[in-house]
Amino acid sequence: MNYLTRRLAAFPLVLLGVSVIVFVAIRLVPGDAITAMLGTEAGLLTPAQRAALAVYFGIDQPWPVQYGRWLIGLFQGDLGISVTYGRSVLGVILERFPRTLELALLSMVIAIAVGVPAGVFAATRNERMSDLAVRVAAMIGQSTPNFVVGLVIIYVLSTAFGVLPTMGAYIAFWDDPLRNLAQMILPAITLGLAFAASVTRVSRSAMLDVLNDDYVRTARAKGASQRSVVWRHALPNALIPVVTLSGIEFGYLLGGAVIVEQIFALPGLGRLVLEAIAQRDYALVQGSVLFIALNFMIVNLLVDLAYVALDPRIRLAGR
Amino acid sequence: MRFLRALLDHPSGRIGGGIVVLYLAVALLGAFGLTPHDPLMQFRLDRLHAPSTSYLMGTDLFGRDVASRLMQGVGQSFAVAFFSVAVATLAGTAIGLTAAWFGGIWDSVLMRLMDVLLAFPAILLALLIVTIVGPGTVTSVAAIGIVYTPIFTRVVRGPALSLRAREFVDAARTFGSSRFYILTRHLLLNLVAPLTVQVTLALAWSLLTEAGLSFLGLGTQPPAASLGLMLSDSRNLMESAPWLMVFPALVVMLSILGFNLLGDALRDILDPKTRRN
Amino acid sequence: MNRDSARKILSAAVMAATVGLAAFGTPAAAKDLRMAWSQDATGLDPQKQTAFSSLRLLELVYEPLVRLDADLKIVPAIAKSWEFSPDGTELTFELDPKATFQNGERVTSADVKASFERILDEATGAANRANYSSVASIETPDDETVVFKLSQPDVPILTAMTDTNSSILPASEIAAGNVGTKAVGSGPFMLEKWDPNSGEVLTANKDWAGGPTGVDGITISVLPDESAILAALRTGQIDFALLNDPLVATLVPKEANLQLNRAPVLAYHVLQLNPARAPMDKLEVRQAISCAVDRQAVLDTASLGEGKVTGPLTMPFYATDPNELFCYKRDVEKAKKLMADAGLADGFSATVIAATGEPPTAAAEAQVLQSQLAEIGINLDIKLMELNVYIDAWLAADFDMAVALNGGRPDPYTMYNRYFTNDGNLQKVSNFKDDTLDSLLQQGRAETDLDKRKTIFADFEKTLAEKSPWIWLYTSYGYTAQQKSVEGFVPTPTGSLFSLSKVTVE
Repeated sequence: MNYLTRRLAAFPLVLLGVSVIVFVAIRLVPGDAITAMLGTEAGLLTPAQRAALAVYFGIDQPWPVQYGRWLIGLFQGDLGISVTYGRSVLGVILERFPRTLELALLSMVIAIAVGVPAGVFAATRNERMSDLAVRVAAMIGQSTPNFVVGLVIIYVLSTAFGVLPTMGAYIAFWDDPLRNLAQMILPAITLGLAFAASVTRVSRSAMLDVLNDDYVRTARAKGASQRSVVWRHALPNALIPVVTLSGIEFGYLLGGAVIVEQIFALPGLGRLVLEAIAQRDYALVQGSVLFIALNFMIVNLLVDLAYVALDPRIRLAGR
Repeated sequence: MRFLRALLDHPSGRIGGGIVVLYLAVALLGAFGLTPHDPLMQFRLDRLHAPSTSYLMGTDLFGRDVASRLMQGVGQSFAVAFFSVAVATLAGTAIGLTAAWFGGIWDSVLMRLMDVLLAFPAILLALLIVTIVGPGTVTSVAAIGIVYTPIFTRVVRGPALSLRAREFVDAARTFGSSRFYILTRHLLLNLVAPLTVQVTLALAWSLLTEAGLSFLGLGTQPPAASLGLMLSDSRNLMESAPWLMVFPALVVMLSILGFNLLGDALRDILDPKTRRN
Repeated sequence: MNRDSARKILSAAVMAATVGLAAFGTPAAAKDLRMAWSQDATGLDPQKQTAFSSLRLLELVYEPLVRLDADLKIVPAIAKSWEFSPDGTELTFELDPKATFQNGERVTSADVKASFERILDEATGAANRANYSSVASIETPDDETVVFKLSQPDVPILTAMTDTNSSILPASEIAAGNVGTKAVGSGPFMLEKWDPNSGEVLTANKDWAGGPTGVDGITISVLPDESAILAALRTGQIDFALLNDPLVATLVPKEANLQLNRAPVLAYHVLQLNPARAPMDKLEVRQAISCAVDRQAVLDTASLGEGKVTGPLTMPFYATDPNELFCYKRDVEKAKKLMADAGLADGFSATVIAATGEPPTAAAEAQVLQSQLAEIGINLDIKLMELNVYIDAWLAADFDMAVALNGGRPDPYTMYNRYFTNDGNLQKVSNFKDDTLDSLLQQGRAETDLDKRKTIFADFEKTLAEKSPWIWLYTSYGYTAQQKSVEGFVPTPTGSLFSLSKVTVE
């Protein structure tokens, strides 16, 4: 497992790099926590008041000192206190993360449940009208900006049907699974649309590749039925690029779909970071970006491992 | 020339290529001011008019002709897309080749750097860059370019690495420049296919990201028109003036469609594995 | 895919859809008010938090000594009566004996003294400390009496005390250092739960001195997208909402079951010029800009006409009719002549900054102004900035021109002393020192006779419009939208939601 250890060893380095970039970046942005809280009224502060607030927000020390303190806290598992929430940063993140996770999972389920069958269908009907129809639909799905989809869905539902899932007051899955799903289904569809479109196209082209491969032709020559050829011989191998793609997209979604979360008022990670940046809540920005980066790296690693495990050609050929 | 014919033979190539050429033409018209009306001109008495004979796609909140603004917007968005992808391609190729060729510590350091950029959520990285430097066309180009560089690095590094592993690297060193020339040719040939496909995908993604950034108020600055800005401005007018969202959305969708189709066709033509008879 | 599996999938989908629809929210019938807004409070310390959204939450939990009614008259809150001494240097308050904090303690003069000392303490960082520069000492002769001794007559100080930023806190909570983490006030509602940027739950305070509240509680949801708020109102999911964007607000009256409450507010839309930067240092140039701008057109385009053109003073009692102010009717010829007089007949280039989304009309205003000023040769470059970046630039006066929505106040002195007195706290932002303006403001501060005050400030307003350091544009409306089943809400010019304490839901 040399490969695995090498990849894992890189984690701390990359995370350190991310933390430095975000630490510096958020402080380079004009405006600080004081102007974020007071707005234009910040101009009324006396120098003594300013100094007092700077201590309160922890921004009075020079940058290396601030970074050092934060890093030490990080090693102890303490990401600091969020000035907007008044609670530990880690606590706030862990509270929001399950919602983003759920949204990402739902989107992926929708994408695969719709995309794979559609892609396989199109591949088996290659170059015919139904193939073209599926391809065009997938293209359109991939080309529409997700905020357009979201806004249109909300508008259509509320005006034409007079229904809308409860927005704002988030209901956790364990509290009430049905209402939770009702809340999540629309944003999941919004995100899942483009995702499903990519999955369709990838499964279609992967399926086409595989259907022309030697071992499939052999299976056909041996007299296997069309259905068995498709589902038992071709599909498992065609799924490899689908797995890779889904994994990568899932990793992106774990970073929080900022715009969709805003439109549907979902308290997820994406909105958390956006609002933290707007309010110059430095500890929260640093902590959440680091958390998202870590997730992304883990998912990437898992995808790469899965790729190696699934593709017999790579496994047999060695690295 | 053979390449062009192959492209025209391919159905996706025809449609995709056609769309892209059409858009380029529209963008040029917009850039030279050959639009039905001046995109910046506010016809105050004709504000929020539905599509009519004088304003083919209606007017916006300020009384500006939507069709003219779309033409200018296409140019703006395409410019951002092309330049940002160019930045990403050049930077990515340079970094990827350096990492692959020199290997060892260079490879580790550069690829870790790329990993750091990749681990950053894309829209947040772009957001941070734009917030620090201030919004505008140049910033958008830089932000999207930086975000996409790691992907191009990876695309380039793969073939470059496998080439380096081949025996005649050492042979090239002993035999001199003629071998080196053959080497570079092989490299470029192997890179053209994945790069071209990646470029078309990146162009599509760049258009969507520009729209997203404008939606958050960090993209193109008014009164200049860009597809993303027009979409974002139409948000709260969606119910009273739907044409303000419909037309830009269709234009965006069609352009991304064009790039995707073109990308598909290019992949089919260039990638030896998927070549069909 | 054959017909059998297709049918199975279809029936499964139909079932899922039915179950799904059943789970969608339906309007509840309870004595709770369900409310929504797009921006959440940013903190719980009523003396520190100045954001409009924070004040809207905290004014339901905390109370000041006095408050303003819908006509901007000062009415009792914690204090049941008050009186200035004849020479104006002492202000005495008699407290309401029924006033109680939500932890059961009675509100006493010791709490008032501790609260104001906290404001005056620089370590607190209370922005409204600047309003209390004349407070020399605070005395508490007994539990129900507080005397503010002032170093000079200061009439506006009473109006300043109506601010939520001057709320009275329990001395015990101040001593324990809990202000900002726990919300213990004397107001009509208690803060039971706060999930920042997500929502809050308020429950009625049974011991409130103002009597029983109309509803048992308020549940507030934060919906960042205002079209989503409209959708939620439409489907009956929420009863009441605060709206910022006129483009969304104007859609509310089209719904049969909804009602839009519009009230003119004190905040004003303005184009701030920076007289420290050439050529805005020339009076003629500033006046030319004032004459070239068509304020009504800006209002009509950016805010769909929802509002009123205004001069510098926006409170009804003191405001002058805009038609009497300098160049409030667009006069491009006069503008061009003024530019020529200044030696700038060919115009000049400048940058105008505006904050994205704050207000939502800022970008639109900038674009209209840009096209209007182009007619006299002024080429404006628009720079939209994220809010905090804008504030940073604004505070540093790092701009040629700025599109702003500035908060208004009920008293002209507190509204403008920070900008236009010679030692005002925000002189560094306005960059405009003028002795006439300074002396008029100081006179108005000390004058107790209302009619004389009115004359002084009318003078102030006319001079301000004439010297044009800024171009005042218009005031817009404060919007709230509600179901018709909600009764009793009274909008106020300050945008206060305090009447929610007496609102009922059928």
